[in-house]
Parts: sequence; structure tokens; C-alpha cells
Amino acid sequence: MKFLLVCGLAGLLGLLGAGLIGIWPRPEFPDSDPVAKAWGVANAVAAVVLGVRLWDTIFEVLVYVVAMVGVRFFLLGMRWHGELPPVAETPLLRRSADLLLGPVLVFALYLVASGHIGPGGGFPAGAILGSALLLLALAKGVERLSAELYEPRLERLEYVVVVFLLFLGAVVLILGVRAPAAFVAANLLVAVEVAIGAWAVLHRFASARGEV
Amino acid sequence: MVAVLLCVLALALAIFALTGKRLLWGVIGVGAHSLVLAGLYLVLAAPDVALTEAAVGFGLVTFVYLLALRRTGKIVVAASPLYPLLYPEGAGIAGLEWEILTRFARWYHRDLELIWVPRAEIPRLLRSGEAHLGAGGFLPVPEDGLAYTKPLLPTRLVLVRLGEGPRGAVAGEPTGKHADPTGKLFEDAAELAHALARGEVGEAVTDLLRLREWTMQDLFSEAETQLVPGEYGFALAVPPQDEELYRSLTEFLAELEKSGELAELLRRYLG
Amino acid sequence: MESLSGLSLAVVLAALGLWVMVSRRNLVWKLLGLGVASGGSILFLVALSHRPGVRPPILGLGPGPAADPLPQALVLTAIVIRFATLALALALVILLTEHRHTQDSRRLEEEE
Repeated sequence: MKFLLVCGLAGLLGLLGAGLIGIWPRPEFPDSDPVAKAWGVANAVAAVVLGVRLWDTIFEVLVYVVAMVGVRFFLLGMRWHGELPPVAETPLLRRSADLLLGPVLVFALYLVASGHIGPGGGFPAGAILGSALLLLALAKGVERLSAELYEPRLERLEYVVVVFLLFLGAVVLILGVRAPAAFVAANLLVAVEVAIGAWAVLHRFASARGEV
Repeated sequence: MVAVLLCVLALALAIFALTGKRLLWGVIGVGAHSLVLAGLYLVLAAPDVALTEAAVGFGLVTFVYLLALRRTGKIVVAASPLYPLLYPEGAGIAGLEWEILTRFARWYHRDLELIWVPRAEIPRLLRSGEAHLGAGGFLPVPEDGLAYTKPLLPTRLVLVRLGEGPRGAVAGEPTGKHADPTGKLFEDAAELAHALARGEVGEAVTDLLRLREWTMQDLFSEAETQLVPGEYGFALAVPPQDEELYRSLTEFLAELEKSGELAELLRRYLG
Repeated sequence: MESLSGLSLAVVLAALGLWVMVSRRNLVWKLLGLGVASGGSILFLVALSHRPGVRPPILGLGPGPAADPLPQALVLTAIVIRFATLALALALVILLTEHRHTQDSRRLEEEE
């Protein structure tokens, strides 16, 4: 076992050395601007993620959803039975959460809306939305927030979003629709998906372990 | 140039995070490492990746680790009661060892569960994996194959004589070695005390703290006591297969001793 | 220069993560090592997409050639999937510690 590891590490370092002395040719890649122009957007990465490789992205999102279903399944019924330590009810935390929540939400929406013309897109926007939900949970307490955000409904929304994404994929790839609106819609769907998944994980972990 | 600086910083943070001993610092270090990597992606002309890495790698991943770390599992402590080291108080538990153990559990990110068992049962429970720590006035026996921490509190063995009769001791404890061939072995010090009080045994080998406990309970009015030669000490027992727990526990105790908290605790509980 | 330093850091990070995964016995430490190793592979791909003097692959960010968007696009989803699989693995670790009371991989193997 240790021997195999040493061999693997030596191989990795060998690859590094080979790269450093220039054994690998590093081919010039084609200009990406025509790709972006062909899809009618400015961000070539968005054109690849949500255009050329949209099908791939949809199934990556599906992998994400399946992993979240796994988390829900494994932590199902695991609730913390010991005494619950009080949530940090400090005015500072509450006030700063209230203050930060608006700007964070606006920033996430901005990332969704401008994902096709600049850096951003659904994935970071979803992660930021998930963090915003955690911020709320920190201020309000997990129990109260999960009572307000009824989870089964969120879970259903998650699956509906997947269906919408598949539908969008069909529209874009089969009918050949190439419009910035399709990018914004795809970014929005991805962001909602990632945010719900992140919230589910954080909420499950918090309620299984007792506190945020 | 900026890229090289960021690379060095990222590598230093990764090494700091992964070679440390405390999991919490590892998680925080990996989060910071992730943030530096996001800066590196920005320099490498990949702003999309940088944004995603900053939001996911730094934000969500760190949160998830911290949530999972809050309490991952519990430590089961098998112990027999001994005032003032570890004893039931009302519905709860108190004592010097309990204080140390709760602090250690918080430090090690575990919950603590205590089961009261006879002293003779503890080594078996530890070896079978049903318990992770032995405590409660535990006198180490080097031959029984368990791993022991440094003694928390030194003590001496003492021979208590009430009258004529066989000599009693506790099985599995070093006191057992001082029982003569005709003597009786008991599961626990409490049983030994009862047998002594009822006159089933005439004399008993025990330690100074238990002798104090027995005198405080007025088990006997007058007894002849005699110190047995040899230095002993109460320690915590860890199963030999649980190297990581042992390492962490000894390290925690060393920290506690260095910061002077251990001395403070000893003063508070033992005067 | 940027690309080369990124590539070398990527390989070193992958090696470091692998080493931690094998040498540490605690499951959460192994996951941390896995995270650093996968960060290394992500950095490798991003560094491959870079050439001296390129601009980000976004139109209107000045003249000159753009970085290759394809590895960046691949990596974008990989980062999010990494978070999902990490959450799943941590859920399994929580489940294991709940039932077996240990996170030591060798003990888990021995008890089986």
C-alpha cells in the first residue's frame, strides 16, 4: 500500500518534471470569441457551460440533486435529542444578518442576470444564496427558519426545477434557440437548484447535530 | 509574480492545514487555502471559476465541515464512582475527572456518555470496543495491555484491618496482587466495602481516596491502617487499538498541565 | 510563468492530498486531503487554459487572445459537484460515528 503510494507520488512528480522541461507540446487552442458570438453572449465560458455543453451541465446538476437526495436519506430521522444549546441570540449577529441579507440577495440576482455577459452564472449565485440562507439561520435559529421554509415544498421545487432544466435543454439543443434569455433562464434554474440543495444540506446537518 | 506569491501562500496554507493536529484548524486552513486559490484563478484569467471557488470552496464547504464537526459521535466512558474524582450528583455527574473529560470532549468534538460499571468489567469493555475510556479512580495495571495516560493524582495503597477474616481486594486492580491466596476478590470497591462492613472479610486492600470515602460514609468506626509500599496513581485508561484517541488525550492533558488549569482543578476538588 | 507555477502547485497539492488520505486514519482528515487533492486537479485544468498575456474569455475585455474557456467550463461544474459529494461523504461519516462510535478507518476495518 505504502509502496503503491510512493510510486504514485513519484509518477506525479515525474509528470511535473516532464512538464517543466517542456516535453509536452502545449498546442495553441482555437480562438474562443467566435463561439461566444455564435451563441449571442459575451462570456465564452457561459457559452460553453450553458450552450455547447448544456446537456452535460444538466446531468451534472442531476448528479448534484442525487447527492442531496442521498444526504437527506442518510440523515433521515437523525435528530439531536440532547438539550439544544441556545441559538446565538446576540443583537450584533441579528442586526448584521439583517443588514447583509439584502445586499447578498441582490448580488446573487445580479450574478444570475449578468452571467452571460460577465463573470458569474448560476453556480456561484446558488452558492451565495445558500450562504445567505445560512446567514438567516444563524440569526433566526434553524428551527424557526425551517418552520418558515417548509422543506417538503422546497424538495418538490427542486425536482420541478430539474424537469424545467430538461425542458430548457430540449428547447435549446433540439429547436436550436440561441438567445440571451435562454441563458438567463438556465442560470436562474441552476441557481435555484444549487441554493435549495445547499440549504437542504446545511439544514439537515444542523438539525442532526443540534445547532448551527 | 503575483501568481507565484499566491502559489507559495496556497501551498503554505495547505501544509499548515493538513499537517496540524486539530481538525478545526485543518478545516479553517483549508478554507483559507481555497480563498487563496480563488485569487490564483483570477490571475490565471478565469474569473468564473474564481467566483465559484470563492462561493463554494470557501463558503459552503467550510460551513458544512463546521456543522459536521459540531459533534461527530460520542465517547463512551466506563467508570466506577469515586468521590471526588467521578461521582453521581443529583441527576448529573460531577468530579475532577468528569470536568477533565467534558473539556476533552469539547476539544475533541465529541459527546460524552458515561456508563457505571464494576471496576473489574472496565478492561473487557475497553478491549471489546463497547467503551472508549476507563475512568473513575482507575489504578493502572501495566500488565493488562491497556494504554494509560500520565497519572492525574498520585496515591498509595493501604491495608485496612477490622478484625479476623480473609483479606479482600478488587479483581483487576493492583490491589488484587496484595490479596493472599485465601483472600477474596470482588468486582468493585463498593462491594468490597460492603463485605468489609458486614464482616465477610476481615481486612481489605484499597487506596487512600477510597479509604477516605469509606471513613466519610461511616462504614466502620475504628480500623487499623497500614500503608503498602509502592507508588500508584489514578489515570485514564484507553484501549490499545485506539491510538488516535490516546494521542489526542495525552496531548490534551499535557496542554491542560502546561496552562496550569490541571493544578487549579486539583486544588478545587482536593483542597 | 503564471501557468507554470500553477501547474507545479497543482501537482504538489495533488501529492499532498493523496499523502494525507493514505497516512491519516481519521475519516474527516481523509476528506480534507481529498478536497485539497481535487483542488489541485482543478488548478491543473485552469492553469492549462492559460497562456502568457491572455485575457479572460469574455468579449470586450480588450485586445489579445482569450484563455481557453473549455477547461474553465469543465471545472466550474466540478467545483459544485465536489461540494455535493463532500456533503454526502460527511453525512456517511456522521452515520458511521453514530453507529460505530469511531472515525478511525483501521478500527472500522478491524471491527467488521
